[in-house]
Amino acid sequence: MPGLRWDALLGGVETEGSLAFWMYRLDSWGWLLFETANMAALATLMGAGAALLMAFPAARNLGAGRVVNPLARRLLEAMRTVPEIVYALIFVWAFGVGALAGILAIAVHTAGACGKLFAESIENTGLGAWDGVRSAGGSWAQACRFAVLPQVAPSLLSYALLRFEINLRSASVIGFVGAGGIGEELYKVIAFNYYEEISAILLLIILAVFAIDLLSERLRHRVIGAMR
Amino acid sequence: MGLTAGLRPVAALAQDDAAWTGARGMLELQGLTRRFGATVAVDHVDLEVPAGQMVGIIGRSGAGKSTLLRMINRLQEPSGGRILSGGRDVTALQGRALREWRRDCAMVFQQFNLVQRLDVLTNVLIGRLAWQRGWRAAMVLVGGRFTAEERAMALAALDRFGLAETALQRAETLSGGQQQRVALCRALLQQPRLVLADEPIASLDPRNAQLVMDALRDVNQRDGLSVLVNLHHLDTAREYCDRIVAMQAGKIVFDGTPAALTAERVRSIYGITEQEFAAEAEARRAAERAPAPLAVA
Amino acid sequence: MSAADVAAWRARIPGAFGGGARGRVLAVVGWAAFLLWLGWVLWHFDVTPRRLWNGLSGLATILRLMVPPSPGELWVDILQGLAESVAMAFLGTFVAALVALPLGFLGAGNVVTNTLFRFSLRRVFDGFRGVDQLIWALAFVRAVGLGPLAGVLAIATADVAVLAKLNAEAIENAERRQVEGITAAGGGWFARLRFGLLPQVLPVMLAQALYFFESNTRSAAILGVVGAGGIGLQISERIRVRHWDEVAFIILLMVATVAAIDWVSARLRRRLIGG
Ligand SMILES: Nc1ncnc2c1ncn2[C@@H]1O[C@H](COP(=O)(O)OP(=O)(O)OP(=O)(O)O)[C@@H](O)[C@H]1O
Ligand SMILES: [Mg+2]
Repeated sequence: MPGLRWDALLGGVETEGSLAFWMYRLDSWGWLLFETANMAALATLMGAGAALLMAFPAARNLGAGRVVNPLARRLLEAMRTVPEIVYALIFVWAFGVGALAGILAIAVHTAGACGKLFAESIENTGLGAWDGVRSAGGSWAQACRFAVLPQVAPSLLSYALLRFEINLRSASVIGFVGAGGIGEELYKVIAFNYYEEISAILLLIILAVFAIDLLSERLRHRVIGAMR
Repeated sequence: MGLTAGLRPVAALAQDDAAWTGARGMLELQGLTRRFGATVAVDHVDLEVPAGQMVGIIGRSGAGKSTLLRMINRLQEPSGGRILSGGRDVTALQGRALREWRRDCAMVFQQFNLVQRLDVLTNVLIGRLAWQRGWRAAMVLVGGRFTAEERAMALAALDRFGLAETALQRAETLSGGQQQRVALCRALLQQPRLVLADEPIASLDPRNAQLVMDALRDVNQRDGLSVLVNLHHLDTAREYCDRIVAMQAGKIVFDGTPAALTAERVRSIYGITEQEFAAEAEARRAAERAPAPLAVA
Repeated sequence: MSAADVAAWRARIPGAFGGGARGRVLAVVGWAAFLLWLGWVLWHFDVTPRRLWNGLSGLATILRLMVPPSPGELWVDILQGLAESVAMAFLGTFVAALVALPLGFLGAGNVVTNTLFRFSLRRVFDGFRGVDQLIWALAFVRAVGLGPLAGVLAIATADVAVLAKLNAEAIENAERRQVEGITAAGGGWFARLRFGLLPQVLPVMLAQALYFFESNTRSAAILGVVGAGGIGLQISERIRVRHWDEVAFIILLMVATVAAIDWVSARLRRRLIGG
């Protein structure tokens, strides 16, 4: 725990017991946190994008074929049952130490998790519009785009935002195995028993997670409201 | 085809039309059959429809009317028999050829089958999907970028039925009658040869039903499209159709002019009076309207 | 449709032709901002086609080496690790559920009526929730040393808060009438809790604990990555020495175990709340 003192709380970086003393590396931690958030955002974008493409063949009601449908479902299952950190361990070997491995690891897991939810959401829409587009000579892809996507877009978007919140947490620890973000720094300070730094970074992570949760909740309500 | 003729090269149009209206008839069903397990929904139906005819198909619930139309559009696969068009067999078409066949025989559904959360304009433009080629198809698929000409076409079609001002509204905000006319606009944008309408007025109140039937007749008479329409009101069929086909248990049991379908014929075909037939249809209409509450215009 | 017709329609309903100039500008600005951000992150994280290509070919090699999966020589260790993970998950959940029980009562509005206390307690719960289990694991490894104890403590700490919150909600949703019945019969505060509330909320709490046990078997499988015991330790060691066939074996084993536990626990839960 930080040795904060009331009388010195607002003192400068030099004053022992002040907030500034505790958070003396706020700038670099803040930057790391910002980087971590960007990792999470990019991973969510990539994962949700892949999930969107795979959810249509994986949905049971769109007649994607007796080979393609089970294949897509199995693939999504494989992507989501293996934990992110295991992917990260492997990707660090393949892509080298750094954020790329972490982003890809989170993205793969996200694609699996979101893909399942997306496919379920697709399975819950009526097929009236689908018949309408198909009967007009629309291709399978066109029917997905015009008959299904508009109906499920709000729920898909809100799932993706929810996933972003989860991914921020994951991105903050994926650095433990060398896959970038604030996790690497946290690993270091924990390894050296720098208790003040540990508490400072943890507090920052908690605050960031709170902030993103709040923001994304607002956004989700807005998305659902605007699209209704 | 005042609305859309400008889009198709005139020479090609003339050539196509010759094939379509040739001696073999524009649509010919030969022994068309569909089984669902033990039930035979459509049982060896033979039917020939010349160009420009408005054919009403009547029959009690479960007679196989919907299955018949859906098979023609190939939304459902036949278990046997053939569908010919201008002498060409369309029963086994696949891929692009199948999509082009579907484009040529536009379908209108009882429940409209619009994309509720899309605006009316885009719903109508869905009729243009099968016309997209190459990079235009990609633009449409990714960005929904239809050309200005196609948009103007859609607006003109909507305007024809007094709906141009609703173009930017969501489909779900329209009344049932309006939605059905939007569906008809979608069908027109396909520039089809044939319109298949599966109980287009079964979910509508009498006033809207009349508006939609008038629109169908207009399409038949002004655009010269053949229309196959499933109905379960004999009166409507008599009033609007050149020819009435009656189905019972998957078979065609009557095929003739409205005048020939007298009350006695109805009685001998169905074993019930025309009043009973109408009452049955009315009861079904009431039952079907109930579970699908529609927004007021 | 002539050009004049198109122009006439464009004049009559401009919205049908892609909106006004303002909408188009907004769209362009939005896309530009997005692409700018995308370009920046890709550049910042050094995501180049070359790196991706090299990584993918490396990944292909790894995947090739993964088949056929093989338990290797130390398969006893693997099984032990698996058992350890399941035990960690079980113990961790058990401890968490035990601690969360009284905390849930403290956090429930119909038991403790001091709003300020309840509010701060819930914020503390939320704070705990914001810290990932892996962080707790790492911290406990430093505190109590390498091994499964750290894992158990990490699981328990991370879950106490969430379970307590869920318990509090379950208690608040409990029916008043049964509690009032005890009051009418002359029961005191403790009797009201014990005989009025507990019988109602206990099955719900048990079901929740089971659910957490399920998800904890997943996380217990990876806590070993930071040294907190279990199968995660085995897997990270095998990855370190690049015995990919054994890695594949462990992953498959993990997935199968998790699926089996999910199945059993789902049935149990259905019996608890459904039956
Ligand atoms: N998908 C299906 N699966 C099984 N049986 C079906 C299916 N579709 C239709 N049937 C059966 O085929 C027969 C004909 O159905 P169809 O829907 O074509 O009749 P219909 O004349 O349109 O009746 P309605 O007036 O009720 O719409 C009925 O017995 C029906 O139960
Ligand atoms: Mg029908």
